[in-house]
Amino acid sequence: MGIVIAVISGKGGVGKTTATANVGLGIALNNKKCIVVDFDIGQRNLDMILGLENRVVYDMVQVMDGEASVKQAVIKSKIDENLNFLAASQTKDKSTLTSEKVKKLIDELKDNYDYVILDSPAGIESGFEHTIEYADKAIVIVNPEVSSIRDADRAIGILDAKSQKVKDGEEVEKYLIVNRISADMVQSGEMLCSEDILDILNIPLLGKVSEDRGVIDASNQGKPIILDNKSDAGQAYARIAGRICGENIPLKDVESVSTGMFKKLAGIFK
Amino acid sequence: MNNRQYSLKVLETSITDEDEFILFFDTNYMLFQDHLISIKGELSERIEKYLVQKDLKYLNNIKLPQGRSRKALEDEFGLGKSPKDSQEYKELEEKLKDEKRENAVNQQIAKAEIAQLTKKLTRNFVVMDTIIRSGREINIDGDLLLLNRVNSGATIKTTGNLIITQVVEGSVRCNGSFMMIAVSPKANIVFNGVEVDNELLTDKLNRIELRDREIFIIPVLKKDTNWAS
Repeated sequence: MGIVIAVISGKGGVGKTTATANVGLGIALNNKKCIVVDFDIGQRNLDMILGLENRVVYDMVQVMDGEASVKQAVIKSKIDENLNFLAASQTKDKSTLTSEKVKKLIDELKDNYDYVILDSPAGIESGFEHTIEYADKAIVIVNPEVSSIRDADRAIGILDAKSQKVKDGEEVEKYLIVNRISADMVQSGEMLCSEDILDILNIPLLGKVSEDRGVIDASNQGKPIILDNKSDAGQAYARIAGRICGENIPLKDVESVSTGMFKKLAGIFK
Repeated sequence: MNNRQYSLKVLETSITDEDEFILFFDTNYMLFQDHLISIKGELSERIEKYLVQKDLKYLNNIKLPQGRSRKALEDEFGLGKSPKDSQEYKELEEKLKDEKRENAVNQQIAKAEIAQLTKKLTRNFVVMDTIIRSGREINIDGDLLLLNRVNSGATIKTTGNLIITQVVEGSVRCNGSFMMIAVSPKANIVFNGVEVDNELLTDKLNRIELRDREIFIIPVLKKDTNWAS
């Protein structure tokens, strides 16, 4: 039985889809069977970032409506055979989703894969609610700026109120990825440090990713940055994927050169 | 007969500059939305329209009853001058007696109300320890002790006293007689209808009290000394 992980952020443009692609590929590189599902119906992007744009035949909505089987619709990545992808519909809109259809699809995916990663749409509309509804865990992506933090806070609040697991009296585990950190801006005090963000959001830290110029090129090429093991962001995602797969990888301090904060954060993560 | 007695807050005002009047209510709407607005002098169509649109209750050129002392009554009715056995005086004495009796009854009612209120405070005391995230609104009819943060975009409303032990970045509406909070510069604090300036709340923990219709702010914990820097 696989684990369903929703990737959420509240605000758009913070790197949700990039994170989903890299985390998904990272898990696959750890020899776990993984499927990434684009839940951003009407605005699909994940296919491009994974370089699978030209291979989409059937999408998620067609599977839910019974026009295609999961087997037909799922695309196996050429980068790693453990990585699978299910595209969002580009022509339909969010209103086609219903709880029953989503549950049926997710149950089927859980039976076949170790990790089911759902890329949530931005905002807190119905599309977002369907993404988090049957999630076991959630990864919250946040940028070190106030609007992103407040939106993430709101998204976590809705997750804690509306997911099925919470309704059953359990808790959805939430983990934080702070994306696009610029070390010199943190040092000069222009950017919030991850400690402040953790104080506000009050969930465990999964990883910190530096701002990296390579990410844009990687997205354009359809080769996730995690494949570039020399890049800062790529290494960060590799560590994050390792942690998701249960490895004990200490947090790397990408915000300063001193080790003080690093130790503190490592303490929080344990 | 079904009676109910209550006091209400009245804002008495006269209009000299209409723009100034509208600007005043636009900025202070929060404070006066539950007041009865008593306007002296001319009331133009524009102002009337504005008040209706804002759903503010108002009266124009009406003398509202106010508590009067015995001396004021005597002066008004010329008691000092008229002979004590006059018909007028006797009537007045009767009236004053009635008023006294009424006052005593009112006092009893007030006492009962206070007793009831005190019971309510202890009964409706709520303790919460969850983080209050953006978008959440907590409405408490009574006292609240909150042992976690109030994040930016969240709102706490209490009819009673309020203590929050961690940082408040959202908004707080407290109508109790005191509250104890630590705020960030982002927070918006309204205490008994009065917006409290954040710059007065820079200490690590502040007590805000209502005494005789005046608001006092008392630092409880001074700012942390940052040894690291």
